[in-house]
Amino acid sequence: MSELLAFSNVVAGYGGARILHDLDLRIDAGERVAVLGRNGVGKTTIVNAFLGIARRMQGEIRLAGKAVGDIRHFTAARAGISVVPQGRCIIPNLTVRENLILGAAVRRKGAWTVERVFAMFPILKERADTPGTALSGGQQQMLAIGRALMANPHLLVLDEPSEGLAPVIVDELADNLRHVADGGTGLLIIEQNYSLVRRVAERYYVLSKGEVAEQGAMAGLTKESLKKHIAV
Amino acid sequence: MANALLIQVLNGLVYGGLLFIVSVGLVLIFGLRRVVNFAHGSLFMIGAYVGFSIATVAGFWAGVLGAAVVLAVAGVLLDVSVFRPLRRQDPIATVLVTFGLLLILEDLAHTVWGKDTHTLPLPEMLAGSVDILGQPFPAYRLMVIAVAAAVGVGLALWLRFSRVGLFVRASSIDPVTTAVQGVNTDRVSALVVAVGTGLAGLSGTIAAPLLALSPSMGGSILIESFIVVVVGGLGSFSGALIAALAIGQIHNLGIIYVPWAATMVPFLLMVAVLVWRPTGFAGSHV
Repeated sequence: MSELLAFSNVVAGYGGARILHDLDLRIDAGERVAVLGRNGVGKTTIVNAFLGIARRMQGEIRLAGKAVGDIRHFTAARAGISVVPQGRCIIPNLTVRENLILGAAVRRKGAWTVERVFAMFPILKERADTPGTALSGGQQQMLAIGRALMANPHLLVLDEPSEGLAPVIVDELADNLRHVADGGTGLLIIEQNYSLVRRVAERYYVLSKGEVAEQGAMAGLTKESLKKHIAV
Repeated sequence: MANALLIQVLNGLVYGGLLFIVSVGLVLIFGLRRVVNFAHGSLFMIGAYVGFSIATVAGFWAGVLGAAVVLAVAGVLLDVSVFRPLRRQDPIATVLVTFGLLLILEDLAHTVWGKDTHTLPLPEMLAGSVDILGQPFPAYRLMVIAVAAAVGVGLALWLRFSRVGLFVRASSIDPVTTAVQGVNTDRVSALVVAVGTGLAGLSGTIAAPLLALSPSMGGSILIESFIVVVVGGLGSFSGALIAALAIGQIHNLGIIYVPWAATMVPFLLMVAVLVWRPTGFAGSHV
């Protein structure tokens, strides 16, 4: 299978602070992978490292199979990796429709269009011309996912997608993510919500103190075994 | 009386229009780069001289176009060599560098064009007057209003409806999220700085037939442009338009009706805005 995202012995952090230590991680095309871990163990730093926000100090990051030296913020998107960031980061002075169009900046051809996103999230169509930040938290999450899908990515990365969402919305989110993955898009979900990743992911990494403490098939991960790394 | 007032309002629109073209460049640059560009008035002045030199050889309209293009290219160089390397530094460093650039550009103008003032003649086809309600009004001044309106409408359409305009608006609020979508925000910023400095070149040449060209001519327009930007809202396109038109009228009507206060009123307006609405009339994004 072709490699979409890989970290080999990566040390990364901010300024002089090292958050990730010799991290190894790999996601291939079409895989559904979860990264679990407590707050502050470096989950978001994984995302920030391949987005060029955190500083890579050692090791190799490969995007779409190619080692990338100078990672710019736009490098991952152009390599087919779209990110739904923690906190959603909806651009407030753009409408819902404009936020979606922004997601298509890389102009990669594929099945995802504004109309298809509207079909998956009808509420976004109803509110297409309102500012993105006028939406509720759950609707903003839909918009952030829709915006990321507009790039027709090979890999969709979601950083804490269930944060701040009601359980019923998290259920809908799981259904939608499975629908996206069924279309062949790889998923990397960075989460603390066990019930969400259990329904979506097929493989997992547990992160502890910036290192992979445990990994394996999702079927082998129980709530009890996860308790030693994370409150579930 | 009413006709005379109309002429003064039109004159106010001429000055407000020029102020808008200069200020909107400052607004765009601040919106994308978060740089308060003290050299912007000097770019207006260099634009006037470049336009003057080209117009002397190739005609007025070639001067206008040439100055805009030369200053736009200078803007790209300015972005790549100054704004981009300094973006993670203390903002005061950029302010000091642009202030230094102001002095360098004034010296450059002294060296290249000399200390004597120059005047750019009006283009022949606009040298006459147009009759407005029985009052003659210079055709060239009407053209300045038309150019300012075209710049405003053109920029508004570009920002609102084009793909790059969408990137500009998004980058002005959240450059990191915009870049994460795959947008090379450095290129977007370089383009915006080029548009801003190109407009300074355009306005310098358009203003040249109305002013005496001298190396210090950028100073007063810079100060009034800063007032426009502060009153309108740092980084706000629509705020710059409203503030430029208001200050154009205050400036012009003030000189006629309250000459003792004409210089003071724009500053008082700025102080009042800073006290009562520090983000300006229209907030702070493009």
